[in-house]
Amino acid sequence: MPTLAIPPPYRGPTGGAAEVEIPAGSVAACLDVVEARFPGFRAQIIDPVGRVHRFVKLFRNGDLLTGDVLAAPIGPGDRLEVLAAIAGGSGLR
Amino acid sequence: MSDQIIRVDMTHQTVATEPFPEAWKLLGGRALSARILLDECDPACDPLGPDNVLVIAPGVLAGTSAPTSGRISIGGKSPLTGGIKEANAGGNPGQDLMKLGYRCVIVKGQPADRDKRYGLEADANGVRIVEADAYKKLWNYAACEKLYEKYPKSSSFLTIGPAGEMLLTGASIACTDEKGHPTRHAARGGLGAVMGSKGLKYVAVDPGKSSVRQPAVRKDFFAYAKEYTKAYQAGPQMFKVGTSSVVPIANMLNTFPYKNRTEGQSPDAATLDGARIVESFETRGGGMHNCMTGCIVQCSNVVNDAEGNYKTSALEFETLTLLGSNCAIASWEDVADLDRLCDEVGLDTIETGAAIAILMDSGGMEWGDAEGAKRLLREVAEGTELGRAIGSGAVATGKKRKHARVPVVKGQALPAWDPRPLKATGVTYATSPMGADHTAGLIVNPGLPPEQFAQASQEVQVVNAACDSSGFCQFLQPTCEDIAKYYSLFTGDDVTREQIADIGWQCLQDEWAFNDRAGFKPEDDDLPACLREEGVGPNHAMKFDVPREIIEQARKQRFAAREELYKLKATG
Ligand code: SF4
Repeated sequence: MPTLAIPPPYRGPTGGAAEVEIPAGSVAACLDVVEARFPGFRAQIIDPVGRVHRFVKLFRNGDLLTGDVLAAPIGPGDRLEVLAAIAGGSGLR
Repeated sequence: MSDQIIRVDMTHQTVATEPFPEAWKLLGGRALSARILLDECDPACDPLGPDNVLVIAPGVLAGTSAPTSGRISIGGKSPLTGGIKEANAGGNPGQDLMKLGYRCVIVKGQPADRDKRYGLEADANGVRIVEADAYKKLWNYAACEKLYEKYPKSSSFLTIGPAGEMLLTGASIACTDEKGHPTRHAARGGLGAVMGSKGLKYVAVDPGKSSVRQPAVRKDFFAYAKEYTKAYQAGPQMFKVGTSSVVPIANMLNTFPYKNRTEGQSPDAATLDGARIVESFETRGGGMHNCMTGCIVQCSNVVNDAEGNYKTSALEFETLTLLGSNCAIASWEDVADLDRLCDEVGLDTIETGAAIAILMDSGGMEWGDAEGAKRLLREVAEGTELGRAIGSGAVATGKKRKHARVPVVKGQALPAWDPRPLKATGVTYATSPMGADHTAGLIVNPGLPPEQFAQASQEVQVVNAACDSSGFCQFLQPTCEDIAKYYSLFTGDDVTREQIADIGWQCLQDEWAFNDRAGFKPEDDDLPACLREEGVGPNHAMKFDVPREIIEQARKQRFAAREELYKLKATG
């Protein structure tokens, strides 16, 4: 099962969860599933007009996703990681 | 020559040096300042009287070739909080003092003639007190320009502006940056007023041709510094475009206070976003630079005006929040002007922004009146009654305006990071010996479960205290393991990560002991009622509702060290 790694600043909606399982599919579809489980999460990643926020970067298995990020496929066993361009409280929490 | 301590007696205007104790070799910066204050300063003293002690202490690794390691701590009893204070700054005085072998400067006493001004000179020929009446009332930039006419270009300076000379409790101490501008401030807690109370207008440090400090295990130290730099540069480099770039995320997280913290989000986030500053580099010049020699993070922006002339540096997230959003001032360019004025007059931008917001909230000025705010800062320098209140900070302004919403802890205004969405950070604000201070231990994790608040806060306070004692800038984000490795290679001893955490914890113990003797009580470790009663975020539901028992746990006893502690990154 693919996983989504969530940095500390974005763990409000997930109630502190640092990692959640997601289904395989596009990034957008994965985020829909996370949103259904943790309302408010998607708005942290996608702006009101449907683009990834300028200050969010998404990595798949350590590689930065570019171009049409939301359409990028997430396969079984992939790890999708959110990087927030913010420091405070980083490290392990 | 062995490392030295400089002792300055401002009552008789004399200086002496003495060897730095071998037993203190792992003490620098904040931990050293705390130890000296606990030993040599009466916690009950008048902070603006002769018995207060001003400590100027670079971190252990300042003056070495370790990257981003030349920070300086200024310490004393704070006239703002009445407790111990350490204010940490970049710029070059820390590097330069250490290159000369001076581990700290301890300033005591007070001149009988309170109108006199003095300067302290340190260079390869020794240390001297000189008369400095010619610099009286000069704003910081003018003072530094004049100082560079007198001292070699290789010098760096610590100066106070008119606010410090007037003993205003929001006054800062400026450190000159790489370009010689007085832009890096030991800002918090009113230590500029302590320096002013001693009649000291400036400290001039000229390292001349002194070389960097030589490590005991030279080859390995240089190799490790190189490897560390490479690894940092290969990483995400969070601060590459400056702290101002966090504005949109902070706004999203409801930690971009608006109108004296009555809201957690600002409608002006787009015009205060650091991205606008970065865009301005294209047409106006300016850009990113390192505020001190040897910094690889380079988070400091240089901001130019529309004509391409230098205006200020660095325009930080905290300043954009407190002097911008929190006062409903919408333009980053206005905030840049206010930042320059604070640097000129010698004021903490956080405390000053909080004070102006209180004035606005109480009806003394229109929200968003940027020109009025600029006039007000000039009034601080002129010493008008209102100007003095603003220059004395949030509590003084609240008292003058008879206004109850005064967001402070232990008398010190809250920084931008809001303890309602970020409750563990609120535990830090409540328990830190410094009062509300994000650099004491910031935790940007709104999902952290309450049962983890106390340990999370204590651990980050320990790591940040260790970092602020090492000379590393918090933005390099070193861990206890990193600091231990550098100390081992520098001293030739086997310094463990446990020892580094112990230094951080002992520093906190010394600071809490000082505050207890100064008269603080357990009930002072809390946040003000307005933050417990008034919420931010959707339906104003985010309130600071952390129970007292959890807050108390953060300082009552030390949590057993766990592996994560040693890998936790310092963060500010
Ligand atoms: S990281 Fe930024 S604040 Fe720290 S020393 Fe470097 S330029 Fe200065």
